[in-house]
Amino acid sequence: MSEASLSSADDKSLVSAAKAGDMFAFEELVARHRDKIYARAYSMMRNEDEALDLSQEAWVKAWQRLKQFQGESSFGTWMTRIVINLCLDQLRRHKRQRAESIEALDEESGGVERQMPVVTVNPTERLERAELRQRIDQALNQLSYAHRTALVLHEFEHMEYKEIAKAMECSIGTVMSRLFYARRKMAVLLADLRKSE
Amino acid sequence: MEMGDMKLEVQLKLQAYLDGELPDGEAQELAEYVARDADARALLTELKHTRAAVADYEADIKLPESREFYWSKIRREIQRLESVEPAAKPASLFLTLRRLLVPAGALAVLAIGVLITTQQISSQKVLNALETETAQADVFTYRDYDSGTTLVWLSYPAENSLADFSPTDTYQ
Repeated sequence: MSEASLSSADDKSLVSAAKAGDMFAFEELVARHRDKIYARAYSMMRNEDEALDLSQEAWVKAWQRLKQFQGESSFGTWMTRIVINLCLDQLRRHKRQRAESIEALDEESGGVERQMPVVTVNPTERLERAELRQRIDQALNQLSYAHRTALVLHEFEHMEYKEIAKAMECSIGTVMSRLFYARRKMAVLLADLRKSE
Repeated sequence: MEMGDMKLEVQLKLQAYLDGELPDGEAQELAEYVARDADARALLTELKHTRAAVADYEADIKLPESREFYWSKIRREIQRLESVEPAAKPASLFLTLRRLLVPAGALAVLAIGVLITTQQISSQKVLNALETETAQADVFTYRDYDSGTTLVWLSYPAENSLADFSPTDTYQ
């Protein structure tokens, strides 16, 4: 595939060429989807270096498994699922490595978020986009791994409860409560951040 | 509103309603409940605000490296793996076991064969000895294996020519 045709080709053609061993076609796919794949890894890991490593690992795995991609979903969706699985594996390793007694307790009970008064302010109303992003960053950093993952998979990947349950190896009920606590905590944290202005 | 006033089950149902995860019948019930309950409406609004706030979060995240640098690391790793793959491909556990078990199995079969042969020879020697003795004593033996019956006639000295027979002939 020539350089000019690379940029004009659709993902499907690039995947076909890459399957045949065309690394330039694969490079074009990387260029097109790199931000999204990195962003998903960053959302889940909350660490720039880890997100970079895992997103690159996802691309290497994609190259190795390209023949398994049958086009049932879009290439972007397929890639995103690869990076999500890598992040989940990495997060499970992290979890095994650290003592999480307090965090585990928090996840089971939902902490204090369930009892908090409803937040009435709308964080999107008075904040600039960049500022809002920065504040969401800070709030996401404060969520536990389990709460954040449920939130990311639902809000960004638009996965259904049952899909999240499968990915996180837990029940649908657990997904619902994790997602609920994550949202409530986010609301509270965003509201608190507004007050601290 | 204190959220402790509302049951967790109801709170989770409100969330499922927002996420479109409730069956049609239940969704209708929830909609009616929300219409008449201010606390439920307030919680639903908060959940919507949070969802809206984070919706575009990832769209603003950009890779902190240039395209070329990022790709060069991926390409190098692909090339490294492809160059070492045939040599470094670890043998599977099954193959390793098979490599060890096949000769071990052959040896075991050989050993069992030798053992059986040795036992047959030694048992034959015992039978031969018995036969010799009984032949010398002029013994006629009849065995019915089906009924498990053995009849033995003894006479001394030997009155027939069986005493001169090779014992192996008798037991072949």
